[in-house]
Amino acid sequence: METFTYTIRDQLGIHARPAGILAKKAKEFNSEIILTCNQKSANITKLIALMGLGVKCGDTVQLTVTGSDEKIAAETMKQFFSEHF
Amino acid sequence: MKDKIFGVLQRVGRSFMLPIALLPVAGLLLGIGSSFTNPTTLETYRLTSIITEGGILYTILSIMSKTGGVVFDNLPLLFAMGVAIGMAKKEKEVAALSAAIAYLIMNAAISVLISARGGVEAMAENSTTSALGITTLQMGVFGGIIVGLGVAALHNRFYKIQLPQVLSFFGGTRFVPIISSLVYLLVGILMFFLWPIVQLGISKLGGLVLNSGYAGTWIYGIIERALIPFGLHHVFYMPFWQTELGGSMVIDGNLVQGAQNIFFAQLASRSTQQFAVSATRFMSGKFPFMIFGLPAAAFAMYKAARPQKKKIVQGLLLSAALTSIITGITEPLEFTFLFVAPLMYGVHCVLAGLSFMLMHIFNVGVGMTFSGGAIDLLLFGILQGNAKTNWIWIVVVGLVYAVIYYFVFYYLITKLNLKTPGREADDEEAKLYTRKDVNEAKSTNNQDRVSALILNGLGGKENISDIDCCATRLRVTVNNSDLVQDSLLKESGASGVIRKGNGIQIIYGPQVSVIKSNFEDYLDHPESTTKAINTHQKKESKKAAISPTVIYSPMSGKIVKLEDVEDDVFSQKILGDGIAIEPKDGKLFAPCNGKITTVFETKHAINIIDENGAELLIHVGIDTVQLNGTHFKSYVKDGQTVKKGELLLSFNMEEIKKAGYLLTTSLIVCNSDDYQELNITTSDMINVGKTLIELK
Repeated sequence: METFTYTIRDQLGIHARPAGILAKKAKEFNSEIILTCNQKSANITKLIALMGLGVKCGDTVQLTVTGSDEKIAAETMKQFFSEHF
Repeated sequence: MKDKIFGVLQRVGRSFMLPIALLPVAGLLLGIGSSFTNPTTLETYRLTSIITEGGILYTILSIMSKTGGVVFDNLPLLFAMGVAIGMAKKEKEVAALSAAIAYLIMNAAISVLISARGGVEAMAENSTTSALGITTLQMGVFGGIIVGLGVAALHNRFYKIQLPQVLSFFGGTRFVPIISSLVYLLVGILMFFLWPIVQLGISKLGGLVLNSGYAGTWIYGIIERALIPFGLHHVFYMPFWQTELGGSMVIDGNLVQGAQNIFFAQLASRSTQQFAVSATRFMSGKFPFMIFGLPAAAFAMYKAARPQKKKIVQGLLLSAALTSIITGITEPLEFTFLFVAPLMYGVHCVLAGLSFMLMHIFNVGVGMTFSGGAIDLLLFGILQGNAKTNWIWIVVVGLVYAVIYYFVFYYLITKLNLKTPGREADDEEAKLYTRKDVNEAKSTNNQDRVSALILNGLGGKENISDIDCCATRLRVTVNNSDLVQDSLLKESGASGVIRKGNGIQIIYGPQVSVIKSNFEDYLDHPESTTKAINTHQKKESKKAAISPTVIYSPMSGKIVKLEDVEDDVFSQKILGDGIAIEPKDGKLFAPCNGKITTVFETKHAINIIDENGAELLIHVGIDTVQLNGTHFKSYVKDGQTVKKGELLLSFNMEEIKKAGYLLTTSLIVCNSDDYQELNITTSDMINVGKTLIELK
């Protein structure tokens, strides 16, 4: 299991569009990626649940990556977050 | 075709790295050990009182020399195994074992033929050697490489072979050493007749060198370098060093023959005014490129490596460069670029040849024990004095060589994008690998079907912690034995399944080793893995019983295909499949009975889960998140249950258009993967509340 935290800098937070690209990225991996924000969690490939978290700018999210490719998945997602959010 | 050959050469080059990594250490041991146990060296420097034969220091140095030497003596075997490991696709350990056996068999066959002809005496001089105690032809590293390449080819072809049931114990990987042995028995016989022809041609070249003055020295240098990869350089230069081909001279009343013998006789003689350049011209040329040129080339390779790889290649290149500088053992460095960039090796040969010629022209008279490193330069050049040796020219030419090597190598590497260490693309190999595996998968569909059944029967890749097999059973350790489904495993051809806690034994019979290889391939194969997992998930989600449902239009307007929506995230269906509507009025109604999961804070989008489980996203306009809620009004809250046709949102179409945004509203089924069919029922105008999407 790999975890990391990230503070959202994107003004608009994780709304529909970014949720889509985030889920698409996450589907490249076998690992399950859970995003936790304000005591609520969602599997980031489950769009409805992810959007339901209502992640906003300034929120700190925790990512938990579990699975066979967790190392590479966590690294990639970390990079992805810093580039897009 | 050219690309293919180049690709193979690159893989061969990479497979060299394993044995090469050992060479610097072996080189230092051999260089230091042999220099200070050489009786001539010891006598010349009056070290015989400190380093005496049988004494502790001498014994330690001898151990260094012999242990280093044994690596070089058996380099062909190391290369046979190393290349086989590098080139084998799977089950590499079997390829290594097979290569070792094939190498022994080939040499044994040659050995028998040599004694049948009348022993070593009957063969051409310097054409034989002893490999692992077997008298055989001197084939150098080349002998190892042909074994490695051939065995790897046999291995890749046969490691999955299925033999008839009676013989099936010998199938799969067990077949590889068997076939390798038989093939290399024949190769050995063949080499016995072919190789001496090659050797003869090379010794003929010797005559040419001797009769051409400075140019001859240049040719000698080029040939000597060019033969190194084939191990033929000994056949070529030894006659110059040890026989009258390298000249003869009377020193202190004795007739001495051969370049190296002349040098050492002069070294031992007190009457020597200056070393005979006619002899040392076959040696001195090594110093400038071994001490200066090649290390500069290593530095160029380091500079040309990708930044993130520099640390990794630094160790390899630095130790190889130091070995070349100190001991004059250049193979570690030369083999790093020989196969990945043969052109660079060609340039190196020409420059090395020139070095020999320049030393000849500048009358440099420095000899060597076996190679041109700093140790030999110190002992046989500097300590002898410039008057006798002109050794200063080695440094002058060497410094120029360092500059030339650095720039030529750096230019060639970057210009031609040569894949020297640290420049390989990480993903490149993986990509090639996948494509090849895809092709393989096409031809072996049935094997993949069996593997897929096993994978699903074992509860998916995540559930497998360890795979092994014995004579008849596939033995798997799983994380959770409850996920294992016997029925699927039996469908894959198993005659029985035995469970012991988390240990699962699936009984297939003697062909199990083939099944295991295929299954491991299948697990390593990224595409089939995801495929397998996907089908698995689909099965599960079907079990979760998503029932068919109908989504009604949330607004009146004109239907737009999702593909035509001017936003990639929607048009590429990244969020899921669905439909879009160009709205007529600024009102959005519930498209089904269900529960509001999220009203976006910016009110431009809403998530609803339909009472039958369809997960919907309705997104009003394109990029309207930027409006931050202005011109939108919401009538529902998160978690609220709604009935079909309830008003959810209203929005001011005029103002939104004025603000510069499109109103195209997308209705996405985020879990559209869970359905087999998604039918859009109309393609023109639609009124609110009419049937829009049927999900099955």
